[in-house]
Amino acid sequence: MKRFVKRASSMDELTSVGRDARGAAPEAKRPSPAEIFWLFCRISAVTIGGGYVMVPVIQRSVERKGWLDESSFYELFATTQGLPGPLALNVACFIGARLRGPAGFAAGALGILLPPFAAIVVVAAVLHRIADFPLARGFLDGAYAVVPGLVAALLFNMIKKKRWSKRRVAAAVIGAVALIASGAWAVPVFFAVVALARLAEGRAPGASVGRSRP
Amino acid sequence: MSTGWLEMIFAFAKIGAASFGGGWTIVGIIHASVVGSGWLSQAEFADVVAIAQVTPGPVALNTATLVGFRLHGPLGAVVATASVVAAPLALSFIVAVAAHAKLRDGGKLNEALKTGTIGLLAMTLWGLLPRLYESWPAALASAFAFVAVTRTKINPLWIILGSAAIGAVGRLAFG
Repeated sequence: MKRFVKRASSMDELTSVGRDARGAAPEAKRPSPAEIFWLFCRISAVTIGGGYVMVPVIQRSVERKGWLDESSFYELFATTQGLPGPLALNVACFIGARLRGPAGFAAGALGILLPPFAAIVVVAAVLHRIADFPLARGFLDGAYAVVPGLVAALLFNMIKKKRWSKRRVAAAVIGAVALIASGAWAVPVFFAVVALARLAEGRAPGASVGRSRP
Repeated sequence: MSTGWLEMIFAFAKIGAASFGGGWTIVGIIHASVVGSGWLSQAEFADVVAIAQVTPGPVALNTATLVGFRLHGPLGAVVATASVVAAPLALSFIVAVAAHAKLRDGGKLNEALKTGTIGLLAMTLWGLLPRLYESWPAALASAFAFVAVTRTKINPLWIILGSAAIGAVGRLAFG
């Protein structure tokens, strides 16, 4: 296995590291837990920006390596959508489990969890010493400044993609108002909102089956 | 900063159980628990989120790790991270390894979860709004980020880093 490429600003460059020289075989390969760990560790170490950035990188990597084909990936991704937890973490765990059972599951989880954890602890340890330097202060303020815009964009895209009916609009509006008002009760209120939204779906034929692709 | 360990573990375990739909949805819940109960100030939380998004890895996890670190040092970081992933990992393990289930009937439940996620995002956004009228450069940056992300296929990371760079230069130039 080649070592981590330091200047891997391009994801293509990164994900091709360790790729089988013969190219992806049509038959699914069975990597060892160590290989699974190492792939997710590398992706997690260099992919900044959370699940929506990481998941496509993961998909491309496992397809190139021939570990999973596209349709298996989508099937697995659809399943993770119904579970709580960071997207990238769940996807890595499911891929690991698919390839190597419990050991693969653990390898996927650790691969995703360890690199950011190490990075964060280092940053947090030095932060209070550097946070008052103008350069660092300005950098952090700048990075935070776009957060409302990014969250609004995410919300806008979700609202645009969803197929709306009167009941769904009602459930979403009630849910949003309830959550905004919920304060420290956000978690139980969230589950109540999901239950309400599920009731609002009723028993009528669901319009949304098979729409779980990213 | 006198948060007990048990309170922190319980809070993050709860947050982890409700973390559907990706990182930004749960940043709002973390904000409600952490700033709402006075564990961190609004300014400290802003720094935590800023760092979480420019360090590698899922934003939600990074936020949890950093809050844990702020509250109880390195061990706090380990415990907060473990607490926030406990429920997701347990559920994933059951579904992926033990049951080999597919949740393919997910249609309606998934739709309901998405509705709930929209509510969580609205809540996250609501908590962030005061920021926009406190600072016009931030409002401008956010407006630009919104248009860029909804109109183009640009990777949000470049917007975050670009804004951070402008912030750093601006702070050096104008103090």
